[in-house]
This record gives sequence, C-alpha cells and structure tokens, in this order.
Amino acid sequence: MLVDAIRAEGFRLSKNRTALFWSLLFVPIISLAIGALTNFVLKGSETKILGDEKMPPELKAALGRGTLDMADALVTAAGNLANPLVLLFVLIGAATLYAGDYRWETWRLISARNSRVNLLLAKLAVVALLALAAMGFMLLGSVLENLIKAAVFERTLTFALTGEAAGRFIGFFGLSWLRIIQFAMMGMLAAVVTRSLLAALFVPLVVGVAQFFTPQMLGPMGVMPDAWLSMLVNPGASIDAIQAVIAGGEVAGALPDGLVLKAWVSVGLWTLAPLAGALAWFRKQDLSKE
Amino acid sequence: MTAVIETPVIHVLGLTKTYGTVRALDGLDLTIPRGGVYGVLGPNGAGKSTLFRILLGLIRPTDGTATIMNGPVGDIAHMRLTGSMIETPRYPPYMTARQVLRWLALEHGITGTADIPYWLERVGLSEAADRKVRGFSVGMMQRLGVAAALISKPELIILDEPTSGMDPPGIQEMRALIRSLANDDGLTVVLASHQLLEVQRVCDRVAILNKGKLVREGAVSELTAVGERLRLSAGPVDQVLSVLGAKGVRDGDGVLADIPRAEGPALIRALVEAGVDISEARWVGTDLEAIFFTETGAVQAPETIHAG
Repeated sequence: MLVDAIRAEGFRLSKNRTALFWSLLFVPIISLAIGALTNFVLKGSETKILGDEKMPPELKAALGRGTLDMADALVTAAGNLANPLVLLFVLIGAATLYAGDYRWETWRLISARNSRVNLLLAKLAVVALLALAAMGFMLLGSVLENLIKAAVFERTLTFALTGEAAGRFIGFFGLSWLRIIQFAMMGMLAAVVTRSLLAALFVPLVVGVAQFFTPQMLGPMGVMPDAWLSMLVNPGASIDAIQAVIAGGEVAGALPDGLVLKAWVSVGLWTLAPLAGALAWFRKQDLSKE
Repeated sequence: MTAVIETPVIHVLGLTKTYGTVRALDGLDLTIPRGGVYGVLGPNGAGKSTLFRILLGLIRPTDGTATIMNGPVGDIAHMRLTGSMIETPRYPPYMTARQVLRWLALEHGITGTADIPYWLERVGLSEAADRKVRGFSVGMMQRLGVAAALISKPELIILDEPTSGMDPPGIQEMRALIRSLANDDGLTVVLASHQLLEVQRVCDRVAILNKGKLVREGAVSELTAVGERLRLSAGPVDQVLSVLGAKGVRDGDGVLADIPRAEGPALIRALVEAGVDISEARWVGTDLEAIFFTETGAVQAPETIHAG
C-alpha cells in the first residue's frame, strides 16, 4: 500500500516539469555556468594574476598546472551539497508535493484510496528521492566543471575514489542528504499545519536561519557551543561536527568528548520530530476545505 | 433475496457533526441498501456533503458511527471498495486526463493502463484524453471525476452533484451512465443532487435530509404513488363529474379522479358508456419535488410547481 502511494506520487511529480526543472536542474546548470565562466575569466587574466604580487596565493595556485584530483573534488562537493541554494530549490519541489493536494483540492480524490499515513509518507519518500536526484545532478555539474577546469588550464586528471576517500564521500553525501531531509521534514510539517505552499517553502528556511543564529545568542548567556542546548538548537552545527569526525585529522581529534553523541541526538530530533508532528496533525485533520 | 443483497453498503447511526455552534448533521440515522441508485436530497446546508465527506474519511464525525462496505469509516480496506466524486473535482493542472486516471489508478495499486481508454470512452472524454486538464470545462471536470471514481472498479460509487455544470445532452448521457452502472455493472450508486427531476428519473430510492436529519426515506415509486390520481381530458366535463360524484374534481379543462389504480379500467368503461369523449387518461402522482418542498419546508417558486 505504501509502495502504491509512492508510485502514484512519483508519477505525479514526473509530470510536473516546472517543479522538476527548478528542483533538479536549475542550480546545477547555474553552478556549472558560473564555474565554467570563472575558469575562462581566470584563464584570460592568467598572466596578469601570476605577475601581480598582491594577488592571494590560493588564486595563483588555482591557475597551476599540477594534477587535478577529481576524487578529492567530489568529496569536497559532497560535503557542500546541502548549501542554501540547493536547499531552497529542492524545497520548491518538496513544497509543491506537500501543499499540492491542498492547493488543488485533490485530497478528496485520494483520501479513500490509501491511508493517510501512507499518503504522507509517500510524499516524504518522493522528496527523499528528489533530494538524491538533485544531489546527483549537483555532483555531475561538479564533475563537468572540473573537466572544464582541467581542459582550460591543461591540468592532468586523476580519479581514485577508493578506501578512505570513498568512505568520506559516502559519509559527506549521506550527511548532506540528511540535512536536506531535515528541511524537507520541516516543510512537510509547515504544509500540513498551514495548508500553504509558501509556508512549506519559507518556514524551513526561516527556521534554518534561526538555528544558525541561536547559539550566538546563547553564548552571552553562558551556554557553551558544545553544550547540549547549543547542539540541540543547531542541527547544522551538529552536521558539521559529524562531518569533521568523518573527515578525520586534527579537527576531529580536537572535538570535545560526547559531542558526537549530542550531534546525532540533535540530528535525529530535528529529523523525526517534524515527521511525527506532521503525521499526528494530518491523521486528525479535516480535509473538507483543502 | 440473498444475504449479500441485504447487506447495506452504508449504515450510519446517530451521526453528528458540528462546526462551532452549527450542527451540520444532527444524529442522522440512515441505511443505504446494496444495489441500484440511491439519491440523497436536501436543501443547501441539509448535511449531504458533510455526510459524504465523513463517509469518505475527509472529516471526522463529532459523534455517532458510520460504516461503509461493512467496515468502519477510515478503514482503508473497506473504503477502497468505494469510488467517489465530491463536488466539482479539481486536478493538478499540469496533467492530462489520461495521466490523472493513471495517477489515481496507481494510488490503488493498479499498474496496468488497459482500463483507462475504456473509462475515458465511457464518460465521453476520449478525444480530450491527452489534453491538459487546466483547459477543461466544468462539465469535462465532472466527467473525468466520474471516470476517476470508477477507475478502481469499486462496488460503491458516491457522486456529489454529478451533473453540475453539464449541458442538457451531457446531463442525459450522465443519467444513462449512472443507470448503466447500476443495471449493467452491478454497482451501487449513491448520489446527491439538487435537480429533483433528475433524481426522480434516475434513482430507485431516496433519502431527504433537512437540517442534518433524515425526514423521509423510501423507494421513489412508493413515495410518488402516494396521492396518485387519474387525470382525464374528457368532455363534457359536467357529465364526467356526475359519473364520478364525490371522487371527481375539476382540473382546468379536465377532471382529476381520486380512485385506486385498480378501478381505472372500470371507470373508463363507465364513462364511455355514459357517452363521454375521452381524449387522454393518465395517472398523476405526487412528484419528488412536491415531497421535497413539503418535507424540507423550503419555499417553492411558482414556476416549479408541477401538476404531475
């Protein structure tokens, strides 16, 4: 039954080309275009940049002729997939899925065909797949951008995504996906409670901004960044902490004891609490006026 | 009659739904038998749509119980045996009619697409099958809604105002489709409509709701047979009245005879023997409209009053 609902929801989304374009393709295309353009501009100004002593060394290094490690680039890209731009545009698709049945008054068409829990979980499952697809397109864009960079600067390409690098890639990719899903859960709760597409889109973003700034407000009150409260109100910092552990090295070694546990609790709470809230609300919701 | 036929498809007991201080349903008791076409009538605010919405799990009752297809409302296994169209349906505007049916079939776990052209044909939407629904008229939306209700091959179909927004040929086609669903496909059809003449023509039984309560229920033929009289277009009228005595009353250029149907042939013979010329004789009953206005206390506009 859940699989029926997922299949139906997926079919419906597959016909919504507008939502698919903005959720999946817009950000990768724009990112690729900007990245490629930057490479061409840098190439055009190469002599000037290398000859100017005031230019930052990082910029000069980017113009170097050494090998370009695609695996390293992919791992870095995987760690940055849950950036605000990707989040915003994935949420457009998620909001359309969550609020579409209220907007088009289509609950009445499907409410007797499957259980309410299945109907809502199916939306979440499709959003989860949508997020995976969006992340896949972003990675593809990253690969293409690096290929362009290698061609423009005549750099040799290497690619060895094995062992530790593969582990980091999977870990970073999973954490980015989890972060996007957290926002998607908040969007679902907002959509169910308000029945509004705009709320499903913007409430998670506003909450995300608040999460970012709350620990800074807690600091002056004597609450340390690694305290339970700080970690619980800021799942973004929790994701960063877990990412540091996956990355290893000195940063991971310097993390306070128990921080990872707090981070996982925070991530779990922000993932499951909105889901539970949305399901509980939706199960008793009157759908007479979608 | 078998036990299966006697099993009601819908049974509600003491069903109550309040919105603040408004009681949309007020302890409604109603049993809808399996088979045939069942009409639910009532003025605006009588509780018809509220009843349907509860039955389909869209809203929860404040009190009382409701079963559908012999299972409690909300039990999806039983509710899946029901197809429905509540008010004028709306659809995701970016989908075509064919895609809407495919989407709703998938929701039921039906992955095949073989039945979709059949139902599109049956509701007269074959030519518009691949058009986006955003360009559909209200009547086309209604037709697609009926197809959507039928795509899962339900045993019970609930239709709220199925002919709303349709032109006269469309209404006639819909009426034929509804009768065909009951007669040929063996479905139980429950519909709500404001078009009383339509209901009288298509329904086998009706329930009249008013202010959230059941005020009248029964077979259309039985309800309309009450007060049945023979109307005679015959002359001279005085001679007809003299034959009928106290049982006759002048009705325009004819006479209404208040006699049982069994006495009709004998009366005709007596009138012919008395030298009366009879140009027309027909039985007229109380129509559903008259019953509706009597039971609901609604004000009947002069142009809607029918002699029979």
